Amino acid sequence: MEEVSKLNTDLLSNTFPAAKEKSGGSWTSYLPVIFVFVGAFLMLGLRIQIGASFISDGALMMLALASYILAALFQLTNLYAPSEMSTRIGYWGAALGVFFNLSSWLVRWVAGYEREIAQLRAAGNPESPWIFRYIPFANLYDLSLAFAFGAGIATILLARRKNLQILTAFTLPLAALILTLARFIGNEFIDLPPVLDSYWRPIHVGDASLSYGVALVCFAVAVIYLLKDGVKVEAMAIWSSIFAVGVIATVSKFSVLTELVYRSGLFLSNPGSTRPFPTVFRVEMPYVGPILVLTTLLYVGVIVAFIAYIYRDSLLGKQVGHVLLKAALITQLLSIILLVYGIKNSEDVYSRLQAQMAAKPSLLVAAGQAMAEKQDMTVQERQSLTPAVYEQTAGTFLQSNGKGMFLSLNANPVELSALITALVATLFVIGFSFRTERLRERLPNLESLDNLMYKTACLAFAGLAMLLITGAIWANESWGRPWGFDSKETGALVAWLTYAAFLHTRISRGWKGRSSAYFAVIGFLLVIFTYLGVSYLLPGLHSYA
Amino acid sequence: MSAAEDFIKPERVSAVPKAPVLNRFLDYLSSVRLGVILLCILVFFSIVGMVVMQQDVEGFEPYYASLMPAERLLGTRLGIFNIYHSWYYLFLLLVLSLNIILASIDRFPSSWSYIVKPKLDATRGWLLNRKRSFEMKADSDDAGAIAKAISAVFSANGFPARVLEKNGVTFVFGQRNRWNRIGAYIVHVALLTLFLGYFVANQTGFNATVRLAPGQTTDRIDMLTFDVDQNLQFQHQQFEVQIPFKISCTDIQQKLINPEGEIDISNTMDWRTEVKIDDPGYGANTYEISLNKPLSYRGYRFFQSQAIAMGSARKITLQLIPQDGGEALSVDVPRDGTVSLADGTRISFEQFLPDFTLGPDGKADTRSGDYNNPSAVLSVIPPGGSRSQVIAFTPDFANKAPVAGGAKLGYKWRLVDFEKSPLAHVLSIKYDPYEASFIAWYIGGFGLVAALGFVFFTSHKRLWARIEPSSDSPGHDIVIAGEANRNHTAFSDKFDRIVSTLKGPGA
Repeated sequence: MEEVSKLNTDLLSNTFPAAKEKSGGSWTSYLPVIFVFVGAFLMLGLRIQIGASFISDGALMMLALASYILAALFQLTNLYAPSEMSTRIGYWGAALGVFFNLSSWLVRWVAGYEREIAQLRAAGNPESPWIFRYIPFANLYDLSLAFAFGAGIATILLARRKNLQILTAFTLPLAALILTLARFIGNEFIDLPPVLDSYWRPIHVGDASLSYGVALVCFAVAVIYLLKDGVKVEAMAIWSSIFAVGVIATVSKFSVLTELVYRSGLFLSNPGSTRPFPTVFRVEMPYVGPILVLTTLLYVGVIVAFIAYIYRDSLLGKQVGHVLLKAALITQLLSIILLVYGIKNSEDVYSRLQAQMAAKPSLLVAAGQAMAEKQDMTVQERQSLTPAVYEQTAGTFLQSNGKGMFLSLNANPVELSALITALVATLFVIGFSFRTERLRERLPNLESLDNLMYKTACLAFAGLAMLLITGAIWANESWGRPWGFDSKETGALVAWLTYAAFLHTRISRGWKGRSSAYFAVIGFLLVIFTYLGVSYLLPGLHSYA
Repeated sequence: MSAAEDFIKPERVSAVPKAPVLNRFLDYLSSVRLGVILLCILVFFSIVGMVVMQQDVEGFEPYYASLMPAERLLGTRLGIFNIYHSWYYLFLLLVLSLNIILASIDRFPSSWSYIVKPKLDATRGWLLNRKRSFEMKADSDDAGAIAKAISAVFSANGFPARVLEKNGVTFVFGQRNRWNRIGAYIVHVALLTLFLGYFVANQTGFNATVRLAPGQTTDRIDMLTFDVDQNLQFQHQQFEVQIPFKISCTDIQQKLINPEGEIDISNTMDWRTEVKIDDPGYGANTYEISLNKPLSYRGYRFFQSQAIAMGSARKITLQLIPQDGGEALSVDVPRDGTVSLADGTRISFEQFLPDFTLGPDGKADTRSGDYNNPSAVLSVIPPGGSRSQVIAFTPDFANKAPVAGGAKLGYKWRLVDFEKSPLAHVLSIKYDPYEASFIAWYIGGFGLVAALGFVFFTSHKRLWARIEPSSDSPGHDIVIAGEANRNHTAFSDKFDRIVSTLKGPGA
């Protein structure tokens, strides 16, 4: 029989213990965070001191990307072959990544300031605008850099607890995908739209990046929870395959599954600036389309096979599904390699484009239509345009500018990132299917995961509320109206309402655990739609973001 | 079957009486479940509004024209093109507000009871069922001393304690942040303030614009409305609204990154409009409006909206080369300004033409709004003479076109420099007579954020200690229990530390 503890008799004699017991070395658990901030500001100081010859923000971003991937790999390895060294390297690797991430952002601030000051002085303008004009929150590249930082810093803060360090294995790959997108967007500076020159920009956009980062962590925790809770890897494979099929179906303006080709966008050099013009033209990339079609078929096979396994207990379905999934991974990887290779080694783009337009004149008509949509025309003017006019407009433009067009990885950043994301998701699912039970044992217990999911959802909810409010107040100062149901505003509202529903279901219906995890997943997907989809797919006042 | 049973008809057990319909309806209306359903429906409609272009978005007109008649009919009848102002969207918001109010009224009393009537004592079983609990023994027979010791530990750890004796059992109770229990209600009050403010601002206010060029005065602003009419045609109508004061534009300025560059958005740091408001009731005052710095005046908020991208000049620098020879004069003339030379010649800057040409009537005109061939139209009054029009060209143009560059009124007039500026600015105006937007977004909005911080970053923590004489040995049995409504992990750590202190080192 367990001996019952006795009350400390010293307390009865009014001898109070010297100090409350504190968990040993609590401040030392913040060392990685301290390292991140102190180190990054040291880098900032060095950049100011040394000048433009210091390491660039782009290079620092790539170092952050590499660190995130390395740290994630170490933590993933740790899941299957636990070792103290892997854990330490993984955790400190994460901190290193966040350090490089923050350094990149700070160095970019200085570079942006110097760039415009140089422009002003060259034009004989003696003005020295305030430094917050140059804070890197002006476009999607800046936001992506800050988003990844938000996810990274939230990760290392939460992963101070030893049992939660495994979080880095799930959040850092996502942060790495955000930085990959940033890489494809390109880090050229833009001329700041005057309306963005406000003290609200660092507040509003800074809050966005931190909130999105916390939402990312909440999503990762939800995925870990689902894994631990016994959700079949095959079910996860079905969802990741549906996502992959959706991406392949929509890229290249839906041409992969309809025309069996993938076309990549073209840039036109801009003599007056380092930033080229995106054109409406797209050129076919050899072999990529057919391989993507094959990949789609394989993914469809995966979906069918795993549905048969889950609903009909078909072991054959399970086996076939896993084989098809691995095959889909290989073909998708091949398609991305061919795409990147094709872009990097493209020659004579103009003649290829001319040949494609000659073979399919409807492409010229579509290009002409896309050009017309960018013009400020009345309805009557637009209705008077015929396919022949579109074709002629596009043809003339092509003739005058075709030789200056070139392929670039930056031409379709969202498409390329989406294809890579689908690949990574498939890779993760295949990884989960390897020694799944052992993996589940190594994950933290369900209760602590559920608590963490709730905590991060609360933080994301509060952060998104602050985002909405600061955005409305800024809009009131700039656009004359606090709320106009602009696409980005509504997107943020939708994400916030989803988290609100999530929190209320927990309170009222006791929906903890798996149901909460699904809500957290949906909430994050809506956050991603607000961050990315709204900027690229929907018109509105926020389009420059 | 016996005779008795024949005649004893079994009595039907009456069904439990249902609550009245109104009560059940109110219960449902105040349920969190309904609130969640409403949130999900709101999310759905909001997504529809994002995916389908709305009628107040730029580019709607051609988009609407490209739709099939059936699509236009369906979209218009369902209100999809203006979904955020549709009756069903507003009704949803109203029902959600009602749901929040009723749910809060329903639940507030129990939350309030945590604050005013804390649970000081409890049974052993209840305490052992708390999230954290711990049993221990004390050898001492003095329950008071034990309670005092435990109370001291609670207080030292941030839980001000109270001691209570009941039926021979001594209780110690400590708690923190009890006001957290009503945090959620503060959040909802802030949210309702936001809704109400937004609704009032929309109902009592309107949006308008006014175009102002320097020297222009007006007491009318333009209100623009968009809608789809009965014939499914997209219409925009403009109404003039009279304001109770006159607004005059005294200056406009565009701060350029490169003063020699174009007056387009990529070369612009800011736009500035200086206005004079002449109000019969309050006199005349001058104000400045620029980007992100609006002007609030008597419920009207003026915002820097657009610039009319027709090139003009805010100030010109003229070089006057005397016809008879001698040193050239340099003269700066502000827009609509007049300057007098030493010899008494008065020069007024009347008009700036960015791309000079002669119109069909032979009069000076501009070909475009671009600074291709800038010139300044001046009104010159020589000493003792009458007013004459002089056009000052750039030295480049004047050298190429000797007729244009010839002397007039004793000087050759050259335009050597000018500060680029647009022809006019457009200010957008928000009329909000009750400052409802301010109340909604500043008070409601920041209140919401602060309340959320209060709700999520603090939690109501409670600790109990039950001290009762041991039944089987000398001394007392002690049950320590604790609970938090949020942040369980942090509370768990705290509870462990308190228990550790109570047990002492080495226990």
